[in-house]
Amino acid sequence: MPILTETKKEEKVYRQLESNTLLQQIMFQYMLEGHQASEEKHLAWVTSGFPVEIPVAMGVGVSYPEQYGAVVGSQKVGPELCGYAEEIGYSQELCSYARSSIGSVEKPSESPMEGLPTPQALLACNNICGTVLRWYDAVSEQTGAPVFLLDTPPIDGEQPEHHKEYVRRGIDRLVDFLGRTFNATLTEKRMREVAALSSKAIHLWTSSLAACKNTPSPLNCADRFLAMAPVVSMRGTDLIIDFYQTLLDEVESRVKNSIGAIRDEKIRLLWDNIPPWHAIFRFFNGLAKRGVVFPADTYTHAWSGAIEGDDLYESVVSIYSNVYLNKGLDAKVDKMCELIEDYNLDGFLMFSVRSCKRYSLGQLISKELVTERTGVPGVIIEGDMVDSRVFNEAQIQTRIDALLEMFI
Amino acid sequence: MGKYGIGIDIGSTTAKGVLLDNTLKIISDFIMPTGASGSRAVEKIMDEIASSSKLKLKGIPIISTGYGRTRVENAEQSVTEITCHSVGIHSLNPDIRLLIDVGGQDSKVIRIGQDGRPVDFELNDKCSAGTGRFLEVMAGVLGVSIDELGPLALKSLSPATISSTCTVFAESEVVGHIGAGKDPADIAAGVHASMAAKIASLSKRVGTVRPVCITGGVALNPAFRYYISKQLGTELWIPEKPQFTGALGAAVIAIRGLSG
Repeated sequence: MPILTETKKEEKVYRQLESNTLLQQIMFQYMLEGHQASEEKHLAWVTSGFPVEIPVAMGVGVSYPEQYGAVVGSQKVGPELCGYAEEIGYSQELCSYARSSIGSVEKPSESPMEGLPTPQALLACNNICGTVLRWYDAVSEQTGAPVFLLDTPPIDGEQPEHHKEYVRRGIDRLVDFLGRTFNATLTEKRMREVAALSSKAIHLWTSSLAACKNTPSPLNCADRFLAMAPVVSMRGTDLIIDFYQTLLDEVESRVKNSIGAIRDEKIRLLWDNIPPWHAIFRFFNGLAKRGVVFPADTYTHAWSGAIEGDDLYESVVSIYSNVYLNKGLDAKVDKMCELIEDYNLDGFLMFSVRSCKRYSLGQLISKELVTERTGVPGVIIEGDMVDSRVFNEAQIQTRIDALLEMFI
Repeated sequence: MGKYGIGIDIGSTTAKGVLLDNTLKIISDFIMPTGASGSRAVEKIMDEIASSSKLKLKGIPIISTGYGRTRVENAEQSVTEITCHSVGIHSLNPDIRLLIDVGGQDSKVIRIGQDGRPVDFELNDKCSAGTGRFLEVMAGVLGVSIDELGPLALKSLSPATISSTCTVFAESEVVGHIGAGKDPADIAAGVHASMAAKIASLSKRVGTVRPVCITGGVALNPAFRYYISKQLGTELWIPEKPQFTGALGAAVIAIRGLSG
């Protein structure tokens, strides 16, 4: 009779990435660098679709309020932080990233990490939405930092010449603005170095994304939503190259050994929109238990344009004007259909985010068009990325269950 | 395939149970208010089915559905009301491709595929104005029972306009009409027309395919049937017991399985 009975612990349904340790380290370092830049009066806050390579090439530190919103959501304090903004008069209908940000500036001592480090400039690009301008105006009132708007009018179809010219002038004004505000200069040599680093990170990142075409998929939604943080916030720095190389190595090793992100992959779905940060693990891991994996999404694929060519600024204009959210509904439908076909997906889940009108508008129509073109079913669930007060789990559950029953 | 199957539908307002045999003949059914305890409702339904069918229910597979579906302890599996309604209606009338179910606290529009399974659906569970609750509130304001509200509305020759899309504000509007001395029949007609318009727009989102089937407790209301048919411009098909189709579908699944 054996003295010790060894019971093998059941393997978790969700396999954590080893490269997450490195991710945490660089995100911590990034935060420290932000504080240092702020102390040296050299910090700008930027929107997620801003051509960050330019401030980076001019030696300006950057922090991302949208990423801070994701942190607020993950720490489940969205209702509190949004509430601080609502107390001073902002509507509950306003973007919850904006409310978290305005709320944290209002009450830093009651906010995660005591809020983002104080900015000396606010750089907004409206290629992701029009709210960013008013939001940064509000933060400007609170902090005194000046706002720079890079205006990128929406595009339907090909970008016309006059549009390119207009955005190009905006880039010139940006360089002037940063020069004046931070007493900094932009050299072609430095811009080339930064663009090369940015392109390298993006190339490594998109290779990891593309590896999810394999079955089983080496990454699930939550993996990508966490791993995208450096490519969103630190494009153009060498700090992140190591991480994306390590991630790609791990992803390739998973593919080679047929190891999936989840233990038992049965159904492959597309995710559309920002995730519910306040429930990200519970949500995706809960579905993983039922064999549902998300090999692709429309969000993390948004950072995929590499700045290249003889005229780097022309490339900047093209990449930042043509982001997913700055284009018409047709382009969004095309992208979803392309992902469903390329990644061999069985259906799609669209998250209608109450605060993000720009991303969510048109989902009813696109759902119909995507099903018509691909023949796969989809469902829309409603909620919010940060504000968990508008996330009704029972209603979401019924919709998802009904979708999954279509595959039985 | 088992000899019998039981479907239990725990809705927000009523709980329903259906016992079927394997020819899909209904042996017994029972409906009651869900009340505060879903599990007590399940117990009562099982007792009623057992006594009316004179069968021993032990060993008969149970499928649960409805908002309380996960809390039915003896169920083999819980299946959403979307799939159950679809399967239930298909077992009664395989030609139906569009189902509108108006329950106590939500409404749903389901496109049914050729095999009887849902292929698309839309739910309204954010706003009470498109649900049975809307009619209950309005019946209360007009001082009639819920069963009297539909027949009253059908007497109207000149329906009142209810412009609000919210139960609370529509209630104020109805109170205003009463104060202005409007005929209760006209007000009741306006209430039904307003609710039908809301549900018709949900239905148009999924795409109206004739004939349209209406289920749920509200399908028993003749004025609602009249106005929804007018709004959609189509004839309706209504099962004999429109409140039971979810439980019926669950019982069919209990016999044939989800993929059967």
